[in-house]
Order: sequence, then structure tokens, then C-alpha cells
Amino acid sequence: MNKRIPEGKAYIYGENKPGNELWAWLAAYVKKNYGDIEPEFIPEPGMGPGFRLCCGGDTLSWTPRDLLDQLNSRIADISPNGGSVIPLIRDAVKNWIPDIYAKESGVVLSAGDGIAKLSGLSRARYGEILLFEGGIRGMVQEIRENSISCILFGDYELVREGSEVMRTGKTAGVPVGEGLLGRVVDGLGSPIDGKGDIESSGYFPLERPAPGIIERQPVNTPLETGILAIDSMFPIGRGQRELIIGDRQTGKTSIAMDAILNQKGKNVVCIYVAIGQKASSVAQSVELLRKGGAMEYTIVVCAGAGDSASMQYAAPYAGCAMGEYFMEKGRDVLIVYDDLSKHAVAYRTVSLLLGRSPGREAYPGDVFYLHSRLLERSARLSSGLGGGSMTALPIVETLAGDVSAYIPTNIISITDGQIFLESGLFFAGQRPAVNIGLSVSRVGGAAQSQAMKQAVGSLRLSLAQYKEMEIFTQFSSDLDQSTKEQLEYGRSLMEILRQKRSSPFSLWQQVVLLLSAEGHIFEKLPCKEISSFRQYLLSGFAACSDITDRLQSGAALTDELRRDVLDKAQALLAAYTAGGAS
Amino acid sequence: MTYGTITGISGPVIDVRFDGDMPAINQALTVELEGRTLTMEVEQHIGGNTVRCVLMDSSNGLCRGMKATPMGHGIRVPVGGVTLGRMFNVLGEPIDGLGDVPEGSEFWEIHRKPPKFSDQRPSAEVLETGIKVIDLMEPYPKGGKIGLFGGAGVGKTVLIQELIHNVAMEHGGYSVFTGVGERSREGNDLWNELHQSGVADKTAMVFGQMNESPGVRMRAALSGLTMAEYFRDATHKDVLLFIDNIFRFAQAGSEVSTLLGRMPSAVGYQPTLADEMGAMQERITSTRSGSVTSVQAVYVPADDLTDPAPATTFSHLDATTVLSRKIAEQGIYPAVDPLASSSRILEPNVIGDEHYRVARGVQETLQKYSELQDIIAILGMDELSNEDKKTIARARRMQRFLSQPMHVAEKFSGIHGVFVPIAETLKGFGEILSGGADSYPEAAFFNAGTLDDVVKKAKELGGA
Repeated sequence: MNKRIPEGKAYIYGENKPGNELWAWLAAYVKKNYGDIEPEFIPEPGMGPGFRLCCGGDTLSWTPRDLLDQLNSRIADISPNGGSVIPLIRDAVKNWIPDIYAKESGVVLSAGDGIAKLSGLSRARYGEILLFEGGIRGMVQEIRENSISCILFGDYELVREGSEVMRTGKTAGVPVGEGLLGRVVDGLGSPIDGKGDIESSGYFPLERPAPGIIERQPVNTPLETGILAIDSMFPIGRGQRELIIGDRQTGKTSIAMDAILNQKGKNVVCIYVAIGQKASSVAQSVELLRKGGAMEYTIVVCAGAGDSASMQYAAPYAGCAMGEYFMEKGRDVLIVYDDLSKHAVAYRTVSLLLGRSPGREAYPGDVFYLHSRLLERSARLSSGLGGGSMTALPIVETLAGDVSAYIPTNIISITDGQIFLESGLFFAGQRPAVNIGLSVSRVGGAAQSQAMKQAVGSLRLSLAQYKEMEIFTQFSSDLDQSTKEQLEYGRSLMEILRQKRSSPFSLWQQVVLLLSAEGHIFEKLPCKEISSFRQYLLSGFAACSDITDRLQSGAALTDELRRDVLDKAQALLAAYTAGGAS
Repeated sequence: MTYGTITGISGPVIDVRFDGDMPAINQALTVELEGRTLTMEVEQHIGGNTVRCVLMDSSNGLCRGMKATPMGHGIRVPVGGVTLGRMFNVLGEPIDGLGDVPEGSEFWEIHRKPPKFSDQRPSAEVLETGIKVIDLMEPYPKGGKIGLFGGAGVGKTVLIQELIHNVAMEHGGYSVFTGVGERSREGNDLWNELHQSGVADKTAMVFGQMNESPGVRMRAALSGLTMAEYFRDATHKDVLLFIDNIFRFAQAGSEVSTLLGRMPSAVGYQPTLADEMGAMQERITSTRSGSVTSVQAVYVPADDLTDPAPATTFSHLDATTVLSRKIAEQGIYPAVDPLASSSRILEPNVIGDEHYRVARGVQETLQKYSELQDIIAILGMDELSNEDKKTIARARRMQRFLSQPMHVAEKFSGIHGVFVPIAETLKGFGEILSGGADSYPEAAFFNAGTLDDVVKKAKELGGA
């Protein structure tokens, strides 16, 4: 029915030609709005009552279906502010006057692979959402003199050549608000958990400018993950971006999940964005969060492996927009992007299909900008702007441990540090499998509590030197005493850093462990005893609330407190070894 | 006034058709969108009365038929005293929230010609940085061009900030800092840092960070450079110019290149990479009227130094410092690879015979160690000759002594930063080279400042 309308023509479609009076009115309307054009009548059998005027890319419709659409959109505009909706609907219907309005429409010229090219829609804006037949949405990605290219979300098979396209006047965006908490939504914010509609408090565009330089403040509040290896050596501050990177099956998602679970009762909103993962893994993660009581403060955005590349491309921006809503309200947000290597692949697909030329590893030239503009939106806002923060934990999968590949290095150069997980360590039982030499946190140190900072000392550098020494001495038979001690110390430290999934340490526990390690308490035990002694030590300390309370406050360690901890640890060690001997 | 009409939009690249006079290449156009004024720059005339422009903003919301107004000149930035203590974006608009620049301030266009050949002034004087590995192995020339190469996360930005701390704060003259395509957070940190240390009022800052569109990142370096040029040419000063990161300039160019309709060159870069880089780099130079000492961080994508962008940058520099992931992994910071770094002025007639002898000696020892490492991996230490064992012991002490605590890392590491004078550096390495420091344990050299610090640490370690 919708064909391209040649310039300087106006067509009136209908089953029967409109009456003379109406025809004269229509002709006058065309003349007034589109210049000196004489409309032509084109019979359209089976269209039903009413008629439709097409001219210059616009469609003016007077058919029952379109009138109902008008009424529908009017009802959809009703916002239920507290009170009952019924009277509002009644008013809306009562006061409604049908209107002939120009609906801009275009025609699909070609479609396929999730990309459609169309004509018409002369006023469509860059980044706007277009509506295709069957309710399929698309986003404008390229505007040429005579055509528009857009990427399609959803079942793009339904878009046919010659079908109609409408503008929505909205830029691509997602609903935001408290109503999303506890829900699982797709890459454009529609619920997929079967729990009904979501009540949103607003609509944020996918792409929003990141906070400017002066709108930020330095990261200075810790975001505790409960994982000793991370909180001590690679601390994460609120508003920081810390990359989790490693081969597949090295515990990347576990760290992110533990971080979310550890935010319980800390008034942090968490958002988990799953990109290109299989739906069953996401369901498993959601289940884990639900069991841990974490769903009530968490939003899950899922663009699975079965969704279109364009949906996967949009999902992280959607999650980020949802987080910004809370950040701008002064809240703290933790967002996990799992994972950005699949996001880069999805964008490569879209970009190549749009005919943009490939660069390194066939990724388009702006793949850096793809991630930089996303991750820069995570920030700690200045106190004038409410002081909210969004902490990002992007995840990237490496191949064969190669951190220096293109996408990993791109993202490392954006984030404020990275936690590198190594499969060698993972299989050796060193979990979390953090590679100490290659991991770093650039800003978190400033956010650590005084107690933690003092307890950690130069742990990371000692361990990095231990690793180097271990490799250097592996073929040497005769080692001097100081080297042997250094190796022994390093080995005991590595043992203490082992931690099971979902068993977070609180601040005082971490400080006790670090102080005891620094006081060379653990070295006196054989390696395999360390983990059980660690348990014994912590339960021993749990009874001394005078020490733990002082440690938990995070205030600077006094010499006296340090001594108290060490004395207690020594006593526990003595008791433990005595118990072991008896 | 003639207007143009937007006819096409593809990412940051906008086509505008004019019925009358067309604006020349590098001229700026403005578009009104929802109460904001967006600026773009003409890159090409593509025929059919149409110019192809790069937008200095996000394209979202633009549509065909919008009016574009030529400004009659290129993008201009304020120059001179009004820029000191202020922070600008690529268009020369203040972004520090301290209000507009005063009326009547002088503005310069950001596209300029490099100084004439006859005005060039070669440099042959050492700039003391207080960083041992730099002063010893790749001394920086005053008025020269210095590059810091490194992959992601090996400490380029920390090193450049340490240089700002050690050099700009001692320097006493004017500095221009240009942030190109790096983190906004770092911009915020630097702004606070400069204000705390009291050198902010001698520094001008320009930022076009990684969250901004490619057009911005492509031109921000030029905006900063223009401010530095003014101090050199109009007020005859010696200026320090810091650019972090020049790679992003090339990268932004490649992002828009294919959208501008150019065929891609090696690794997807723009075919004009060398020309763009040359046109900009040739402007950063010292002339008879004043000097520009520039320190440029150069990101190395995928740790690949043969990538076209860093490879093109190498030839423009007088001294290069290469940071290595392998060294960072050992916890040695700054993670400078002493064998890959170089300086044009590492010559006896510039730096003196003693410095030259020590630097080359250290180089030889480290080179020998890296060759022996393969043998150690196969045979183990025990199979080596005593001579080789001695070389290794000294090389490992040198490696550790090349590390030093940095001022700007103090708040993370908790260790106080040090400034090591060149004389102390030479004394320390001279001693290791001659074998005079063999008796101190390796660990004492790690993160130490001068040789005296090593002796002190050795005593502590011995006592423990």
C-alpha cells in the first residue's frame, strides 16, 4: 500500500473517492501545506472506511484504525500520579477530539542482517527510534541525502521491503527508576522475567554525556568486595572503574557476583549487565543473587547470545543510563558489564554490516570510543551534584592469557586498574586467581581506610618480588638464608590470600590476617595447615570485641593496637600448635 | 550571511550544502540544536556545492535540513595571560566554572604553519628530571621533544605527572597541559594537584577527553599547542608542553577517516596519518624567539611498538622513554625499559665523559644479563662462570636501583617520593658498575633513592 511518493505528487487512497466537498477541502489542504499540487485519487480495495493522504513523506490518515491509534496514544500518555486511573481515562476519552495530523512515514528500501535502509522521513533525527510494521524498533545510524540506515532491535525478519516506517520523536532510551530494582530486563528496558510491567520514573536516553572534569571529585570512599586479595592490594573506590580480565573459566563473574552480594545492607544499587551470554548462565546468576538476598537492590539487564547484535550493542548503555538515575539522586551504584569483549564483537558485527571499514582485528576504528564513552560515565560526582557515584566493574575475556591483545589493552587504557585472573593459578588452587604483578588499582589506594592501608604496607611489592625470585631461583640448589626466608614468607602470603566463593571477610578480619602475616605468624606453620589455622585465628579474634571494634572502625592503627593484635595472634598460634600436638 | 543546509549525517561526519559561497577547508560552522550551539570544522569539499565536516560534539538529534552558519574563521582559542590558571575545551571555552575569559582577549586559530627552517634552534643541554633511569639512560634535552611510550596500564600517566611535579614545579616558567583522549578523572586529579602545589596560575590546561567525540580528540592537541606557541612566539618565553596522549590524536583521525570517505591504510589507519602527525609535530619546536620543551605520552596499542601510530611518532622525537609491561610486572616503577629507550644527546660532548661511560656501562651489563637469562632458564645459575655470576648480580642490583619512589604515587604507595640529582645517580651506578656495591643485598636497592639510601636500607635488612 505504501509506495514511494514521487516529488510533486499527492495521492489520496481509499476504497471510494471522497465526496466533492471533502475532496475540495483536501485539495485546499494540500495546496496550503505542500504547494501547488493537485492530489490524485488511487483506489485501494479492502482498505475499509476512511481515506489516507500521502504527500512529501507525510501521511495524513482518517481511518478507524489510525483514529484508534490516536486514542490509544492519548491513553498511554496518562501518568497515574498516586490517584486512581479510571477517572483519568474517562476524562481522556470524553475530552478527546479526533485530529488529522501529519504522521511522517518512510518506506523500507532494503532490509537484512538486522539493518534496514529506508527512504522518506526527511526530518528523522540522528539516534532517533523508528517504528517498523509489527512493532519492531530501529535506531537511526546514518543519514544520507536520499536514504536513512538504521539498526533493528528484535525480530528483524518481519521487516520487509516496501513496508512502512514511522518516527517516534524519541531518541533511543530506557525507562529508569526504583521500579526496576529486583527485575530482569532486556537491552531496551522491557521486562523479560514474566513479572509484569515496570513502573518507571522517567526515560533516559542511552547515550548521555559523561560528567565533565569539574563535575567530579576524587575517589575517596571504599567499595568493599569482601575479597581479601582485592580489598588489600587492589582496592576499589566508589566511582572507580576496575577491569576484571582473564581467560574463560577463571572466576571473573564470581568476583563480580561476590562484590554484588557483599553490598547487602550498604545502600548500594547494583546493576548486572549480561552481554552475549547464554540465557541459562544468566538465570543461574540471577538465582544466586536471589538466594543471597541481593536481588532487591539489583537490576539485571540481559542481552543474551540469542538476541540481535544491535540489542547486545545497546545493553551496556541501557544499564548505564539506569545507573545514572540513581547516581544523580546522590546514591552509590555498582555496575558490572559482563562482558565487554562480546560487546565489542557485537559492535563489530553492526559496524561491518553498516559498511564501515575494518581496522585492527577487523574491529572498526571507533571501537575504543565505544567503550571509553561508556566507562567515562562512571564517576564520583562532586558534592555540589549530590556526591553520588557509579563504580564500574567491566569484565573482559582474554584468549590464552594474552592481556596485550587489542580489546583488552583498549579497555585497560580506559579503566582505573585491572584485576588479572590467570588460569594457571586457578587450576593450582590459588583462588581467586589474581596475578599480582599484572593487576593494579590506580585510585583505590586513596579510598582505603587508614587501618587497611597501614596493615597492607607494601604487600603487593613483596609478592611481586617473591614471584620474580621464585622464577629466578627455581633451578638453584643452594639458597642463602635470607632468600629462603623471603620465599617462605611469600608462600605463606599466597596461602592466606586463598578464599572460597561467597565467603567475604569483613574489614577487621582482613586487617587481622594482614597484621598477623606481616608479623610472620603464619610462616611457622606448614602450608596445608595455614587455611585451618586462619579459621581458628579468626574465630579466636571474634570473641575479642574490644579489638575487632577498634579495627572495624577503620581508624589509623596505634602501636598499642598493633601490639594487641600480634600478642593475641601469637597466643592463638601457641594454643593451635599445642592443640595440634596433643 | 549565507547558510548551509545539512544533507547527510554519519557519526561525527556531517555533509552541508551551500547555495552561495562555500566556507574554506578548516573553517568552522555552527549549528543550533535545542538551545545549544554545536561547532564543526570543514575537512573536504566533496562536490555538488557540499562540504564534509567533522562535528565537535555528539551527532544525536541532528537531522537533514538544519541550518549551518559559517563562522568566517577556523576554530579559535584564547591565548596569552588569560589562559593561565584556567581549563579549556577544544573550542577554547572555559570548563572550570570560573566564567568567560575577559572581553578583548586575544584569540588565535588552531591551524597554523610550523616555524620556518631558518628559525629552528637545535638543543644540546640536559634537562634534569630527578628520575634516575631517565637522567642516566636517556637524558632529556632542554627545548627538545620527548616521548613516553607504553602500553595500557604500565604507568605513562604517573610518569608524566611525576615529570610535571619535578620539572614544571622547578621550572618557574609557563606550562601548558593538554589532555587528549585520556580519563576525565585524571583531569580532575591534575586540576586539584596543580592548585594544591600552587603552580596552577602558571599553567594553562586544555582537555578533550576520551568521552568526547572523535572531532574533539582530533583537535584538542592543536588547541593546547596553539596556546604554547603564543608564549613562544609572542612573549618569547620558554614553555613546557605536556600532551597526554598524542596517540589519541592519531586514533581520533582514524575513527573519522573512513566516514570522510578515505580508503583505509595499514591496520585501518587513515592514509594521511604521517602527514597529520608531521603537520602537528613540526609545530612543536624551539625557535630563536623561545623554546618549547614537550613531553608527549604515546599509547602503544596492543603493546605493539610497530603499530603505525607509535611508529610514526618515533621519528619526531629527540628522546624516547619506553615503558615495559615485563618490568612493571616485577613491581619496578617507573617501568622504563633501559635497553629500548634512547636519547639523541647521549653523547660524550653533551653529557660529559663520565656520564657517558656509566650509562654505556650499565647498558652493557643489562644487555649481557638479558642474554644470559636464556642460558639460566635452561641450565640454571650453578652452571655459569664466576664472571657471569658477578655480571648477573650487578645487573640485578642495577635493575632494582633503576626503580625509585615517586612523589605523585605517594598517596597510593605510602612511600615518600624522591628527587635524585644527576650527580647522585652517576655516583650510585658508577659504584655498582665498579663492584663497590656488591656487598649490599639486592633488596636494599629496590625503591631506593641515592646510594646512601641503599646503605641505610642494607643496614636495616642486616639488623632484622
